[in-house]
Amino acid sequence: MLDITKLSVGYGAIAAVKEVSLQVPQGRVVSIIGANGAGKSTLLKAVSGLVKQKSGRILFDGRNISDLPADRIVGLGLSQVAEGRQIFAHMSVADNIQLGAYLYYSRRNRGEIRERIDHVYAMFPILAKRAKQIAGSLSGGEQQMLAIGRALLTRPKLLVLDEPSMGLAPIVVHDIFHTIARLNQDGMTILLVEQNARAALRIADFAYVLETGQVALEGPAAKLINDPKVKAAYLGG
Amino acid sequence: MRHPWFIRAAQRMNSISFATQVLQFIVTGLTVGAIYAMVAIGFNIIYNVTEIINLAQGEFVMLGGLVMVFMHVSVGLPLVPAFLSTIFLVMLVGIVMDRLGIRTIRKPSVMTLIIATVAVSIIIKGVAMLLWGKSPYDLPAFSGRTPIQLGGVVVQPQYLWVIGFLIVVAVGLTYFFNRTILGKAMRACADNPSAARLVGIDVEKMVLLSFALSAAIGAVAGMTMTPIALMDYDRGAMLAIKGFGAAILGGLGSFPGAILGGLLIGLIESLGAGLLLSGYKDAYALIILLAVLFVRPSGILGNLQVTKFKRF
Repeated sequence: MLDITKLSVGYGAIAAVKEVSLQVPQGRVVSIIGANGAGKSTLLKAVSGLVKQKSGRILFDGRNISDLPADRIVGLGLSQVAEGRQIFAHMSVADNIQLGAYLYYSRRNRGEIRERIDHVYAMFPILAKRAKQIAGSLSGGEQQMLAIGRALLTRPKLLVLDEPSMGLAPIVVHDIFHTIARLNQDGMTILLVEQNARAALRIADFAYVLETGQVALEGPAAKLINDPKVKAAYLGG
Repeated sequence: MRHPWFIRAAQRMNSISFATQVLQFIVTGLTVGAIYAMVAIGFNIIYNVTEIINLAQGEFVMLGGLVMVFMHVSVGLPLVPAFLSTIFLVMLVGIVMDRLGIRTIRKPSVMTLIIATVAVSIIIKGVAMLLWGKSPYDLPAFSGRTPIQLGGVVVQPQYLWVIGFLIVVAVGLTYFFNRTILGKAMRACADNPSAARLVGIDVEKMVLLSFALSAAIGAVAGMTMTPIALMDYDRGAMLAIKGFGAAILGGLGSFPGAILGGLLIGLIESLGAGLLLSGYKDAYALIILLAVLFVRPSGILGNLQVTKFKRF
């Protein structure tokens, strides 16, 4: 579904991502793990169109999206939940979710939008309870749920999550990963970028280890989780 | 010899009762204030989406008045078509301004963009002077000039049009920004531009829309005020200062704040000029503005946390 070939991205002279190739097959959870500054977020920003790549090719659903702006890529069904819970902090929870449907919002689609919103509320009942509240007043975990919920409203075929566990309490992290696993069971293809390697490898089918902008290791997640090198570097021995 | 103000006020009281006079100043002040409020709303729309203070906002008002004079008086279009075509033309100016004056700037920072709006305002003013010359123009009042007497207070019918349009603009915008998906998308751009892109909002389109909308509201202010105060090419800057003062006083970015700030500045100006010294008419409002900002830096209805959060 997502096919990246020899992608390089850089800010100025520094290359943050060097010739990375990776694939996300339909229906799978693929994870990218790596330390802080390994280039994970830069890679995702290039995929979603927020930054321009230097070279390489990104195919999504067989279509070259390398040069499309972010707002067009969303329309094709690639939705990113950005790092640090990028919500509309001064708007209500309900408005945040509704804006996920911005691209196809019309009277004709009202039924579908209602259904998708109800689905999100069923998945995260706390959001329904706080629908009228200002999004900035939610807790970190709730904001992450809101960001995921809003992304689900964009009709995604591929959901890209950037560090969903960042800054959250362990119990909340557990909930979020449980949700991600459930989304995948319902058929969603997921690309998950994480520093929390243990949690990510547990729900992923396949994983890539990124080090200083390059793919250092790749393989089935079940294999990587027992790999001595991965264990030593990312799983705390 | 000139008597102190209180003696002159007392002398004036002989002819008309003081209370009636104060009421008259209030009515005039509210009308002028409604104009300032519309200018302030124009500032807020662009500020909310882009954080730019559009210092050409007063030029939209000036153009609204002069284009309306051209359409209605020179071309002879009836009121409603003249009104609508003026809005359309001034909106076009706003769109061209965004396309040529704002978007073409490389490596834009909020500050350079604000300077760019100053440049645009000078250009618009210059072109207006070439087209219309330096003399002021009058416009027939929308529904005649027979004053309405309320007690001893004289209300021009045009005053009611001005205040009426302020209400229409305020209600319309509140609905637009809180109830429609397009309005919410515009607010989302102001809130978090990169998150807006990630849900598929074309941020540049929203910026363009904010300029068009601001220009349209400026045009409405200009068209409704011209029958009361005439219009010439040079009026934009002072209107922008008063409107900006109103926006700051009420709290930059807040629509209820813009209305409150505008009406307050209009009232202070009118009462100050009428009861104290009329020569300082333009100073009263700005003195009050400074005083309020010393006490509440975010304006009356502004949110301090939001103010700190913004880059400018």
